[in-house]
Amino acid sequence: MKNINLLAMLSLLAILWSCGDDDDAKPAEFGTFQVYFDNKVGADDITRRDNGSTEYDFETSTGEKFNLSLLGYYVSKITLEGPNGEYFQDEMKASASEAKGYYHVLEGESASQNIKLEQVPAGTYNKITFAIGVEEDGVLEGAAGGVLDPADGAWFWNWNAGYIGFALEGTAENSGQEYVDWGGGRETLENTFAIHIGGWKDVADNENFINNIKTITLDFGTTVKVGPDLSPLAHLVTDAMKVLDGAAIDFSNTFSVHAPKAGKPFAEQLPQVFSVHHVHQSTSGHD
Amino acid sequence: MISKTKKYLVYGWVLFLFWSCSDDDAASPKDIYAFEKPAHFPDATYTFENNPITKEGFELGKKLFFDPILSRDKSVSCNNCHQQSRAFADSPLHPTSIGVDNRVGIRNAPPLANLAFMQEFFWDGGVTHLDFVPINAIESDVEMDETLVNVVKKLNEHDEYPLLFEKAFGVKEITSPFMLHAISQFTAMMVSAGSRYDKYVLEGTALSNEEMAGMKLFEKKCATCHSGELFSDFSYRNNGLNDSFGDLGRGRITEDEADHGKFRVPSLRNAELTAPYMHNARFLTLEEVLDHYDGGMVDSPTLDPLFKDGDQVVGISLTTEEKTSIIAFIKTLTDRDFIAEPKFRNND
Repeated sequence: MKNINLLAMLSLLAILWSCGDDDDAKPAEFGTFQVYFDNKVGADDITRRDNGSTEYDFETSTGEKFNLSLLGYYVSKITLEGPNGEYFQDEMKASASEAKGYYHVLEGESASQNIKLEQVPAGTYNKITFAIGVEEDGVLEGAAGGVLDPADGAWFWNWNAGYIGFALEGTAENSGQEYVDWGGGRETLENTFAIHIGGWKDVADNENFINNIKTITLDFGTTVKVGPDLSPLAHLVTDAMKVLDGAAIDFSNTFSVHAPKAGKPFAEQLPQVFSVHHVHQSTSGHD
Repeated sequence: MISKTKKYLVYGWVLFLFWSCSDDDAASPKDIYAFEKPAHFPDATYTFENNPITKEGFELGKKLFFDPILSRDKSVSCNNCHQQSRAFADSPLHPTSIGVDNRVGIRNAPPLANLAFMQEFFWDGGVTHLDFVPINAIESDVEMDETLVNVVKKLNEHDEYPLLFEKAFGVKEITSPFMLHAISQFTAMMVSAGSRYDKYVLEGTALSNEEMAGMKLFEKKCATCHSGELFSDFSYRNNGLNDSFGDLGRGRITEDEADHGKFRVPSLRNAELTAPYMHNARFLTLEEVLDHYDGGMVDSPTLDPLFKDGDQVVGISLTTEEKTSIIAFIKTLTDRDFIAEPKFRNND
């Protein structure tokens, strides 16, 4: 009888032990961290204009007048680091039901510009790293939902399958784009431009096969604390002017960029496009 | 009595212990909805862990494959250009694909078999995951000329599909990734490994003397590119069909001039059934294909160096007899079980 009891106890112990996760070494406390992407052109805020609008809000350093109808990008693989070895890695999971860790930031959709990172281990942080685009490991998961669902707003390229990482569209006074009627109600208006930066493949022995995904690391220049009652915010600025100026755009001959190779000069600017405006400890959100 | 109860409780615990941590093995050994890698094949590349095959998912994928609802005017289904009797290639009457409003495509529809083992898809390899393949056919204006958005809308408004998706995936609303997963469940299961050649490799069933001679010649003359058990190295090569390229092929994807006019080396499994041949459907018979390699090739800057000796285009020299033997061998790659398999048949 006693033996049986002992056996039962042992079995129970074994069950608890054998199926349990290894959950030691997890810090006891967590908080949230908010990242706000503030889209600008130079120092100016953006008013999205209709396609073909001749209200030119901006001018490049070479005098090219333009406006924007669309600005957006995928942010993924966010990590936070602190001076004492603090480390947070946003969970990534592309599946049919969701696209965890992928954020589709769209100018004019403030919810998309405010990324809230949950379950950040309590501690001090001074650095953020993220990728602009959807890298190979995400594409190779296959069909995904959420912000990667091509039937629900995802920026997907069919023919060279993958996602557009960063896109700018608008109208430029000097754009060489002529009017095109594609039929079925689809048209491209005169003087418009579309710059779609995509391409994620690295192929050995083919230098022309371009991976345009850039990883950005930004230093806060100070530290912020995360804890159960401490939810800091990093206010980042995305300066679209740097994409155009850095690539020295001439809209008369560059107005339709829809392939990795053509997108490369613009992708090369991305590391300069993002900067930290400020960080603060306050829990209030930004718009 | 009490002690007996306790005893059973203990046995129960122990049983539970074994059961709780074990994997769910396939319920029955002959589960026709289980994906099985043929012993001589390479490992599958498809992400089954993201999309495990179930009866409900497979049957839903099959229904979608045969349903013209995927096209703009409900006139074209996947099956239009991928017919089981042709190893899921197109009829020779459609050398290049015919889409909605009788629009003519630019390439020959490739057969569908062993897709779960491939890394890249289409003649140019632009698509790197099986799930994304149907999007191209749906949204191509010369194929289905529909948008993925509208397909999803039509499916959600359909009498049967919402319930079928709920049964297959437990979702209340149909979204594109679940639709693509359903189609992949059907197409990933299209494994063709039941040819006479396979029976020779797996079971030692004899081939004729001519077929064996053809195999030896094939190994020597063809297997550099048509290598392995899938009979392709899945590289992109220019095999001398043209000296200028209206269709850039792989060059469109890599944007590299060195890839202009290159197309994917196709698997030769079921080739007997999949005429016409080449991306542009140039050749109607296997004899014509071999005649092309033996003396019909034209030079261009991207012609594969395998076919050249210095500046000279040499192709693959073959005697008439050798051609006959090679074709006899290629015909041993025909999988009659695959084209007769009832689970791939439209049962609507």
